[in-house]
Amino acid sequence: MTKFIDKLGTKMLFFDGAMGTILQSKGLQPGEIPELWNMTHTDTILEIHKSYLAAGCDIIKANTFGANPFKMKDTGYSCEEIVSKGIEIAKEAVLQSKKDAYVALDIGSVGKLLKPLGELEFEDAYEAFKVICVAGEKAGADLILIETVSDTYEIKAAVLAAKENTKLPIIVTMIFDEGGKLLTGADIFAATAMLEGLRVDAIGFNCGLGPVQMQKLLPELHRVCSLPIVMNPNAGLPVVVDGQTMFNVNPEEFALVMKEIALSGASILGGCCGTTPEHIKATIELCKDIKPLEVMDKGLSVISSYSHAVELNNRPKIIGERINPTGKSRFKQALRDNDLEYILKEALAQQDNGAHILDVNVGLPEIDEVSMMERTITGIQSIIDLPLQIDTSDITAMEKAMRIYNGKPLINSVNGKQESMNAVFPLVAKYGGMVVCLTLDETGIPETAQGRIDIAKKIVSEASKYGISKKDLVMDTLAMTISTGQENSDITLDALDYIRHKMEIHTVLGVSNISFGLPQRENINTAFFTIALARGLSAGIINPGSEAMMNAYNAYCAINGSDEQCIGYINRYSAVAQQTSNIKQSGQVSLFDAVVKGLSESAYTAAKELLKKKEPLTLIDEDLIPALDKVGQGFENKTLFLPQLLMSAEAAKAGFDAIKEVLAKKGTTSSSKGTIIVATVKGDIHDIGKNIVKVLLENYSFHVIDLGKDVSPELIVETALEHNVKLIGLSALMTTTVANMEITIKQIKTAIPDCKVMVGGAVLTQTYADMIGADFYSKDAMGSIRYANELFEV
Amino acid sequence: MQVNKKETLRYLGYKGQDIDAKLETLIEEASKELEISINPKSVHKEFSCNVIDETTVLLGPIKITSKNLAKNLKGCDSAIIFAATIGSSVDTLIKRYSITNLAKASVIQAAGAALIETFCDSLEDSIRLDATKRDLYLRPRFSPGYGDLSLEHQREIFNILECSKRIGLSLTDTCLMVPSKSVTAIIGLSKIKNNCLKQKCTTCSSTQCEYRDA
Repeated sequence: MTKFIDKLGTKMLFFDGAMGTILQSKGLQPGEIPELWNMTHTDTILEIHKSYLAAGCDIIKANTFGANPFKMKDTGYSCEEIVSKGIEIAKEAVLQSKKDAYVALDIGSVGKLLKPLGELEFEDAYEAFKVICVAGEKAGADLILIETVSDTYEIKAAVLAAKENTKLPIIVTMIFDEGGKLLTGADIFAATAMLEGLRVDAIGFNCGLGPVQMQKLLPELHRVCSLPIVMNPNAGLPVVVDGQTMFNVNPEEFALVMKEIALSGASILGGCCGTTPEHIKATIELCKDIKPLEVMDKGLSVISSYSHAVELNNRPKIIGERINPTGKSRFKQALRDNDLEYILKEALAQQDNGAHILDVNVGLPEIDEVSMMERTITGIQSIIDLPLQIDTSDITAMEKAMRIYNGKPLINSVNGKQESMNAVFPLVAKYGGMVVCLTLDETGIPETAQGRIDIAKKIVSEASKYGISKKDLVMDTLAMTISTGQENSDITLDALDYIRHKMEIHTVLGVSNISFGLPQRENINTAFFTIALARGLSAGIINPGSEAMMNAYNAYCAINGSDEQCIGYINRYSAVAQQTSNIKQSGQVSLFDAVVKGLSESAYTAAKELLKKKEPLTLIDEDLIPALDKVGQGFENKTLFLPQLLMSAEAAKAGFDAIKEVLAKKGTTSSSKGTIIVATVKGDIHDIGKNIVKVLLENYSFHVIDLGKDVSPELIVETALEHNVKLIGLSALMTTTVANMEITIKQIKTAIPDCKVMVGGAVLTQTYADMIGADFYSKDAMGSIRYANELFEV
Repeated sequence: MQVNKKETLRYLGYKGQDIDAKLETLIEEASKELEISINPKSVHKEFSCNVIDETTVLLGPIKITSKNLAKNLKGCDSAIIFAATIGSSVDTLIKRYSITNLAKASVIQAAGAALIETFCDSLEDSIRLDATKRDLYLRPRFSPGYGDLSLEHQREIFNILECSKRIGLSLTDTCLMVPSKSVTAIIGLSKIKNNCLKQKCTTCSSTQCEYRDA
């Protein structure tokens, strides 16, 4: 029998159709676990497989879709048993049918959403998939089909589990909606970029849509995908008839569309919900003699996030450089303090300023870079949808980041040293990614353009040994300051021009290095950036907060035509005059009024102004606290409501930021009234209430340790002991998680009897709070302030 | 789908306070941002319904013990179970603005709550349309967590509706839904046109609730 992988893409191959909907017609009850029928209705499963084989299909999906450790937990069977049995039945069907057919280990979603959206850890998902893959290969599966998945992160966990623990070919089919989006937001381009990076063997769609709707999404997949394409649609969109869900595209209609799909580039066809052996048979009859379109490498240079792809092309891209401690004392302090919020703010600001990609460098000798990198990547990916550039020289940190990154990252960097290439390229081959290649090697940085080009060629040739083609390389010809030699600019740009146009490889530069040692560096940077863009720079690593640089960039895109009809330029600059006048309006308000009215910018400016004549402490006592008190009273008297209280809280925070800056210059920090821990209890993932309390407490000069959400009682107790904390605030939203609140309080009271606990949350009442042993029930955000102030005797 | 401002304000604890232009803009911006980002999805199935006694209901394959639900479904031969979500963008936006603009985060949270209700209402309307054709009338929708209907029933509902596969809605071990702005509910189908008014807050026993809609 020909190996499956050799047939893939060279001749039309046919999957079987639905299992689940056929089982329902044979008596499977709603809510019953279909995979258990492997044990209880072995013959029924065998017959269904045989009917598909008789219809002529090449690949049958074993009845293992939902057989994962989570779903099998209380069934009396292990996941391995169900998987093995499923494969065994399918193999028996192939044997009995005497056909030349393959058995796919069928893997669906584990049914839990991964962090940061949900609660499942990436590595726990990986472990679950590993169990399935190992059992499936052992039982004799010919390939692995990961299907009906709608979260790129879960798909990545499944693919890694399959790659690292088996030798089987991997096919991934995803469930897109009619708009071409996965449920977690990824578009076709982004998901394809990630999967090609992970080196799967075929990609496609299944479920969710009928053949007609799926056909509409095929051109986009075909445009971006360099692998064989699979299409397993439902028998139409579900329609509800007399309260029952039906799929009613008949076999003939189904096959006709499938034929068009085959002619437009899909070479593996089958069916999902509602399809039957008749649908498959009709499809095979119409399509079996079609010669598949040749699978072509589309040659796109692309990276992706969990939502979209960014392609390096004629339109240059901005890589934000601000997440990097080099030369920034405030950033270094944030890293030492584990202050992720500071880093996230930097990330958000760069996105708002127009960055397409964010560089992430969190290396500092005195911190654990691996764990900091992991936290930062996860943190950024929980709120920002830009692709990231993983910037580290620590290979362990690089691998960890590439593993947990949701998408196809840009890696910064490899260079022409053999040691560097030996370390980095295997990671790129395994996890996928584009990689920044520095044109330097053991001999240093060549002082000629030709020298740098030669290194680029060496890197290309070495990368190809790992199956990494030049589309996934982006060359950095190293901007060096002109203050030590004015020829530096030409060397860099000549090499860059050659590599981009003659070698047809994309390019990148850390632009601002050009002006090191010179005054008013922005002047030089801006001019050099524009010239570099004109010479073929694909992406500039710059500070998107620099208006001059962004102006140069936007102007360039308008000039080179990549900003079509100058629309981007017009949108950005036609509103500028208006914005300026808005800014002028603020700034004349007193600090007290700014806080009361919730004007953050005015509060900051007013505080800065006042600090010229007042001591920080006096300013807090005479202006900030009285304003906060007034707002707090208004909230309690119901003359103000929540968003107004919060706008004031934010304004006060801006005032405190001004104070912190002054104190930092003096080398001191602000004093605290006491340390308070806040946390959302284990099992609970709703934290907006807790976040509100945190900000208000900080405004009243408490030092708040925010442990986040879904926090174990052990961590809370441990932290309280470590920091000698006397007050803990806990929040829980639902009745099911209030139980965990009670457990947490018990553990706190046992370990630290004199530590007070205040609680809040939607379902809580005074009675409930008393029952679970809380010291204080806060019905709203201000309640916790009053209690904390009383407790700490202010 | 548009954010219902009145409902959004109610979820924010609004009691007729003055709203200045700045807050007005904030609410408008937050609502717009949310409206363009959501991805509403729903799934529903019909099951036979059998109210066995005052506290026991058989709903297709599920046996439920709940006095309140039994009362709600009494006299129905069938019932719809549905699940709906506006998707995960609202959770991401809340997280994002919790860092940069807490007031906006609170408005998005409230607007999201209002949106999922609007979505459920429109879904209910389409179910009503289908039911009317069969001379059936809808009972007020009833969700796990209402009255004495335990949240634990979410597990069975998620199983029979295949929520994860169909609409990307998942359940934590503590029965919380992810994405957070999601609803599951049971709607009785009755042959008799009575007790079928929309009820929402009016029959809830929590009369002191801050967010009660009178």
